[in-house]
Amino acid sequence: MTHSLGKLGTGYQDVPRFKDARSRIDANSRTAQVALMRIATRLAAAFAVYALACGWAQAGSITVYTALENDEVSVYLAAARQAMPDLHVHVLRLSTGDLAARLIAESAAPHNDVIWGEALTDMLDPRIEAELAPVTSPNIAKLPSRYRAPDDKWFVATGYLAAFCVNTDALAAQHLPMPTSWADLAKPVYKGQVVMPDPQSSGTGYMIVAAILQGMGADKGWALLKQIAGNVAQFSPSGSSPCKLARTGEFPIGVSFAFTAMQSIRQGFPIRMVIPSSDVAYQLEASAMMKTSANQVDAKRFLDWIASPQAAALYRKYKSIVAMPGAGPTPEQIKDGLPADIAHRLYPMDFKASMENRAATIARWKSDVAN
Amino acid sequence: MGGRMNRAVRTNHPGVPGDRLLAWTFIGLPVLGLLLFFGYPLIVIGLRSFLGQGDVLSLAHYRRLWTDPGLPRVMLHTLWVSGTTMLLTTVAALAIAMALHRSRMKGKWLVRGVLILPLLAPSLVQGLGLIFLFGRNGLVHRLTGLPTDIYGFASLVAADVLYALPQAVLIISVALVRTDRRYYDAAESMGASAWRQFIDITLPQAKLGLLSAAFVVFTITITDFGNAMVVGGSYRVLASEIYNQVSGQMDFGMGATIGMVLLLPAILSLYIEHVASRQHNGSEHALPSEAPPGRGRDAALSMTCIGLLLPVAVVLATVFYASFVKLWPYDFSLTLAHYHTNLPDGYTPILTSLKISIAVAIFGTLLLFMLAIGMRRLSPALARIVAFLAMMPAAVPGMIIGIGYVLAFNHGPLSHWLYGSLAIVALCNFYHYHTQGFLTISTGLRTVPAALEDATTCLGGGPLQSTRDAVLPFVAPALVSTFFLLFMQSMVTLSAVTFLVTPELNLASVSVMQLNENGFISQAAAYSACIVAVVAVALGLMRLSTARIGIYLQQRGKLHVA
Repeated sequence: MTHSLGKLGTGYQDVPRFKDARSRIDANSRTAQVALMRIATRLAAAFAVYALACGWAQAGSITVYTALENDEVSVYLAAARQAMPDLHVHVLRLSTGDLAARLIAESAAPHNDVIWGEALTDMLDPRIEAELAPVTSPNIAKLPSRYRAPDDKWFVATGYLAAFCVNTDALAAQHLPMPTSWADLAKPVYKGQVVMPDPQSSGTGYMIVAAILQGMGADKGWALLKQIAGNVAQFSPSGSSPCKLARTGEFPIGVSFAFTAMQSIRQGFPIRMVIPSSDVAYQLEASAMMKTSANQVDAKRFLDWIASPQAAALYRKYKSIVAMPGAGPTPEQIKDGLPADIAHRLYPMDFKASMENRAATIARWKSDVAN
Repeated sequence: MGGRMNRAVRTNHPGVPGDRLLAWTFIGLPVLGLLLFFGYPLIVIGLRSFLGQGDVLSLAHYRRLWTDPGLPRVMLHTLWVSGTTMLLTTVAALAIAMALHRSRMKGKWLVRGVLILPLLAPSLVQGLGLIFLFGRNGLVHRLTGLPTDIYGFASLVAADVLYALPQAVLIISVALVRTDRRYYDAAESMGASAWRQFIDITLPQAKLGLLSAAFVVFTITITDFGNAMVVGGSYRVLASEIYNQVSGQMDFGMGATIGMVLLLPAILSLYIEHVASRQHNGSEHALPSEAPPGRGRDAALSMTCIGLLLPVAVVLATVFYASFVKLWPYDFSLTLAHYHTNLPDGYTPILTSLKISIAVAIFGTLLLFMLAIGMRRLSPALARIVAFLAMMPAAVPGMIIGIGYVLAFNHGPLSHWLYGSLAIVALCNFYHYHTQGFLTISTGLRTVPAALEDATTCLGGGPLQSTRDAVLPFVAPALVSTFFLLFMQSMVTLSAVTFLVTPELNLASVSVMQLNENGFISQAAAYSACIVAVVAVALGLMRLSTARIGIYLQQRGKLHVA
C-alpha cells in the first residue's frame, strides 16, 4: 500500500502544483503506516498470549490410543484424574486389530502421545515398535523384568487369559459334560457345539493357536487344533463374539477371553468361566510412548501412573493378569472361575515369536485346518 | 449420451457470454472433488498392492490370489452371494417400485416408511435382529421349539437383501415414475393385457433403472462385510477377507490387493453408461399417470410388499423390543436401564453425526446435480470417462476408503485442515455413496423432455435458465431422494469412518460398534433405537421443507409442460 503511494508520488514530484498534494499523500501514508504498525503490534501481542495459552493448555494434555474396554477405561481415567488433576487425557478406544492398523496407517505423522494396553504381539510389529521411545520411571522399574522390554520401549501392566464361556443352561439342555481343557473340546460329544474366534481376523483367535502350538509343540499342537476345528460350529470374526453367542444360548461353549466371561457373569447370564487346565493362552497388554510425542513429560507421568500400585488395585476388578506383584485374584474372580494360582500357571510365551510366525501360522491354518 | 450431446451443440448459442465458463464450473468442481477425495486416496492405497517385501515393485500379492489356500474358494463364495443377492433384490425392488408407482394399492405410505427403516439403523441392527429371531436360541425357536440355525449362506443373502433393497427401490422408482401415459393408453386400446404392457412397456422403459439398481446391489454386497461378520458364520467373503488381512494380520498390501480385485465389477458400469447413451429421453407430454384400476394386480403387489417388508419390520421391531428387555433371552421384564449408556461421550456423537450428515446431504446433492448436468455438455468419450469415475466408489470397500484417507490425508499439505475435522468425515461419507446418488440423479435426468430444454435454450435462455426452468422440475424427485439417501447413509455408515474418529470426534455408528465390541449388546440396541428416532425426526422435518420446494417446482414444471 505505502509502496504504491510512494511510486505515485515520485512520478509527479517535479510538477510544482502537485507538490502540495504529494506531501498530503505522504502525510496520509505516514498516518496509515503508524496505524498499521499499531495494529500489527497489537496482533503480535495477542498472538503471543494466544500461543502461550495454547502452550499451557497443551502442557497438561495428552492423546492416548487404547485397546482396553470402555467400561474399565472410564474407571481408570477417573482415578488418574484424581491423581493428576492438571493432566487432561484424551482417549480413543479401538479394538486391538483396528488400533494396530491405525497406528501403522498414521505412522508418517502420529497424532497420539501414548499407546495404552495394546496386545503385545501387535506392539512388537517392527512397524509399530519403530515408532516408540524408551521410557523409564520409578513405578515401571518395579515391574517384574518379564513385563518390561529389554530396551524400555514398552511395559506391561495387565493381560488377559483365554477362557471358555460355558452356558450352563444350554449345556444342561443338551446333557453335555463341563469341558475343562483344550483336549476336551476335541471330544466327539461337542461336535457342532463350540464357537471359536478365527485366528485370521481375531487377535484372541491367534493367541489361542499360538499358545497351543508353543505349549504342546508344533506336531501335537496342529493335530489337536485340527481335531478341535472339526467340532467348531463357527469361527467368529472377533474374540468377544463367541462369548456373546454363548451367553444368549446360541451355542453352549464359546472360546473367548476372561474379561468378557466375567462381564457376562456380572450382567447375569447363566455363564460359567472355565480356564483350560493346561496350556493356558494369554496375551499381555503393553503400553508405550510415541517417539514423536510433543508432550513427553506428561506422557511419562501418565505411563508411570499406569504402572502404579494404585492403578494395579483397580485392575484387579477387571483383569485376569496384573503385572504388579502383590495380591492374586479377588474372591469374586475366584468365584467366577479364575484359578487362585493363575500367576504361576502361565507358560512363558514367546510373544516375539508369535508376532514373527503369524503369517506362516495363518497360512498353515488355512491349508490344514480351515479346509 | 451421444444424441443429447449433438442436440446441445446444435442449439448452443456461441454468443452467450459465460456459458462455457458456467458449463466448465459445473463439470469441473465435482470432477476435481472426485479426483482429490476419491481418486487420490484410492491410488495411495492401491499402490500398496504392488509393493512386495522391502517395498520393491512386485505382483506377489496378486499371485497369492490364486496360490493362497483359502482365497479362491472365498472368491467363489463372494460371487455366489453377491449374484444371488443381486437377482433377488432387483426382482423384489421392481415389485415394490411397481406397487408404489404402477398400482392403486392402499397404504403406499406404509410401504415407503418400512422400506427406509433399514437405512436408518446401523447395519449391526439387522444382524442382531436376525439372530434374536431365528438364531439357535432365538424367539422362533423358543416359541415353537423348531431347530433354527441361521448362520451361513442363506442368512447372509437374507441380510444382504434387506440391506440393499431400499437403494434398489429408490433407483428403479425414479425410472418408473415418469413413463409416458400414452404408451399405456395405446396398448390399452389395442387390447394388450396388463402382463403384455408390463413386458413391452414398463420393462424396456425401466431398463436403465433396473441395470443401475442391479449394478449398485452387486457392488455394495460384494464390498460389505458387516453382515458377513454377524450372520455369515464361517462363510467367508472377500470383504471380510480384507478385514482379516488389515485388522487381523496387519497386511495392508494384501488388503489393498483384494480391494483392487473388488474394483473389477465397476467395469460393468461402462455397460450401463452405454445403455444410458441409447436410452430415449422423456417426451414433452409425459405426465405421471395414475395406474388404471386392476384388482388382481393390486392384490398381488400388496401381497408381495407384505411378504417382503414384513420381515424387515419384524427384524427391526425385535431389536427395538430387545433394547427394553432386561436380559435377553433370559429375563423378559422391561427396563429403561439400557438407555443409560456407559459410553464416556454419551449421546453427543449422534449430534456430531447429524451435523456431518446434513452437510453431506446438502453439498453432496448439489455437487452430484452439477456433475450430472455438466456431463450433458461433454463429448461422449469424455462423458464416459467421467461416468466411470463417478460410478466407481460403490465398488470400493469402506475399509479401503478409510485407510486410503488416513494414508493420504494424515500428513501433507491438507492434513492441517482435514485431520480430525468434521469435513474429512463428511467428504469420506459423500464419496463412499457417490455412485448411488449419481445413478439416481442421472436416471432422473433421463425423464427430462429434450425438446423442452432445447426450446428454453432457443428462446435465449443460458444453461442456468434451461437448468432452472426445464431440468429442475423433472429432476426434483431424484434430487430429493438423493438428498435423503446421502443423509441416512452418512448417519449410519461405519467401515470407513472407524479410521477417521479421534478422541474429540466420535460418531453415532462408531459408538454402537464400541458398545457391541465391549459386550453391551442391549445398550448397542438402545443406542441404535435412539439413532433411528433422531434420524426419523430429522427426516420428518426435512420432508416438510422439501415438500414446499417440491410443490413450487412442480407448479413451475406443469406451467411449462402445459
